[in-house]
Amino acid sequence: MQLLSQLLYHDRIDFGAPAVTDGRRSLDYGELIDRSGRLAAAFVDAGIRPGDCVAIHVRKSVDSMVAVHASLQAGAIYVPLDPMAPVSYLATLVHDCATRVLVSDASGAVLADLVEQTDLDVVIGPDQAPATSRCIPWAAVGELDAREPVALVDDDPAYIIYTSGSTGTPKGILHTHASGLAYAKLAASTYGLRPGDRLANIAPLHFDQSTFELFAAPFAGSSVVMVPEPVLRFPASLTELVEREQITVWYSVPYLLIQVLQRGALDQRDLRRLRWVLFGGEVFPPGLLAELMSMWPHARFSNVYGPAEVNQCMYFHLDEPPIDLGAVPIGRAWADTEVAIVDDDGQVVEAGTSGQLLVHTSTMMDRYWNRPGLTDGSIRVRSTSTGGTGRWYATGDQVVERPDGNLVFLGRADNQVKIRGHRVELEAVEAALLDLDGVADAAVVGAGPDELIALIVPRGPVDHRELLVTLGARLPKYSVPTGIAEVASLPRTATDKIDRRAARELLPETP
Amino acid sequence: MSTDTTILTYITTEIATGDEPVDRETDLLLTGLVDSIGVMRIVEWLETTHEIEIHPADVILENFQTVAAMAAFVEQRLDTASD
Repeated sequence: MQLLSQLLYHDRIDFGAPAVTDGRRSLDYGELIDRSGRLAAAFVDAGIRPGDCVAIHVRKSVDSMVAVHASLQAGAIYVPLDPMAPVSYLATLVHDCATRVLVSDASGAVLADLVEQTDLDVVIGPDQAPATSRCIPWAAVGELDAREPVALVDDDPAYIIYTSGSTGTPKGILHTHASGLAYAKLAASTYGLRPGDRLANIAPLHFDQSTFELFAAPFAGSSVVMVPEPVLRFPASLTELVEREQITVWYSVPYLLIQVLQRGALDQRDLRRLRWVLFGGEVFPPGLLAELMSMWPHARFSNVYGPAEVNQCMYFHLDEPPIDLGAVPIGRAWADTEVAIVDDDGQVVEAGTSGQLLVHTSTMMDRYWNRPGLTDGSIRVRSTSTGGTGRWYATGDQVVERPDGNLVFLGRADNQVKIRGHRVELEAVEAALLDLDGVADAAVVGAGPDELIALIVPRGPVDHRELLVTLGARLPKYSVPTGIAEVASLPRTATDKIDRRAARELLPETP
Repeated sequence: MSTDTTILTYITTEIATGDEPVDRETDLLLTGLVDSIGVMRIVEWLETTHEIEIHPADVILENFQTVAAMAAFVEQRLDTASD
């Protein structure tokens, strides 16, 4: 197998085995192949040719799994859109990837606004779409003849994950069939995935963690249990789902596991089927991790590391709760992967010295979509251990190697923060604030875990609530600050950049 | 004021502050009107306002999907408490 589009077409696939369920509907592998083949036919019918983008604007469901695999089989690049994000934000992504075809489960005003603000010609899924676009309802998709996957090569583009960009414009991370499939293989072998495993798809489609379940489960013949978005807001409902669906493998951000620990009614749940818990995307406070691990002694835990540009690339397995309360390491590189810790001049640092982490791996992205400057800035061509040269991704993450060979994450060199696992470039939020009428200058700082505070220099009297509501209509919810503080002016460095450390000092009290 | 009216007022003024209209039967979870932090704030507010303690096991989707569901849950809790 060389392509992501072949994930449903390999010898180990058992047509009768469960492939995906969302609690309302379930498909076995035979049905998943049939439905994704029909949707692939609809894409072709809609004018999609290999290398074109298809936007997927669908909540986690049987349909989201079908849409991803149909896109791959049609040779399209799938672009997942956050169903909860404001339409104006989604419209910038649709423009950026120049897609004319959308799969959506939206209706009414959201769909109408999205079509109006973009060049979308075809909407697949809804029974009705705005008059300016052609509509292909699910019922019509079901009447098409299923298509076989189109012929592709392994460095053909497969999907784009958008993430916060420091200029204020989101950047698209383009992965190929090769990098996606390498991830599926490594995930399946590292975590011993097999038929009978039931993987909870917790991360939404637009969050790169979701490719773990979407790709590795079919590779291993395991099944995917889609966790509906509303369930994630209720830790006790989530643990009830994990028990009912007999989940064996869990992958999420620590935030969600902490919610489960604190509010998941764990004393009333039997979760002994859970055999492996993976967490990543941000730091898990070791005390809370130890507490959760003692509640679930039957499960192995792993801290996984990897920016979306490289999928996963490192892991640290924990068989026992951490005893010392130092940071949990991000561990070591997995197979087909090399890492290097370098100083500002790109020289490998001495053992025990901190530096930037560079990664060379088979799971690495091809490039940033339409952003050659950004791509050049983040990819280094360096020698590899095999004697040749290769492309290395410069993560921007500062790390240090422990004497035992495990790496520890220390922080960022730039202004990227993580909010419940989501990457947020503080500059992007500041750019959105500066776009607002009442704001003359703005700085955004982290304030405690998972919280951003905006410091603004107002232009006349400003209604803070109104400002935040306007911002909420332009940015994904996790990147909207929770509070605003007014200041007379913002501290700047000698090079006229905002001095965020000094700005934070201006806050009345920092938790 | 009835329980559902006070809850509706709280939700529309403190939690779901966007342009989308909200009534007793609006699904607050489908479109993200109420996120996980919103749920925690609502629980805290219900506990304070009605002087009840809400067990984590009761903070489930079914009890918080709509204003009507929240009101029914709170009234049932108040009834049990006064028995």
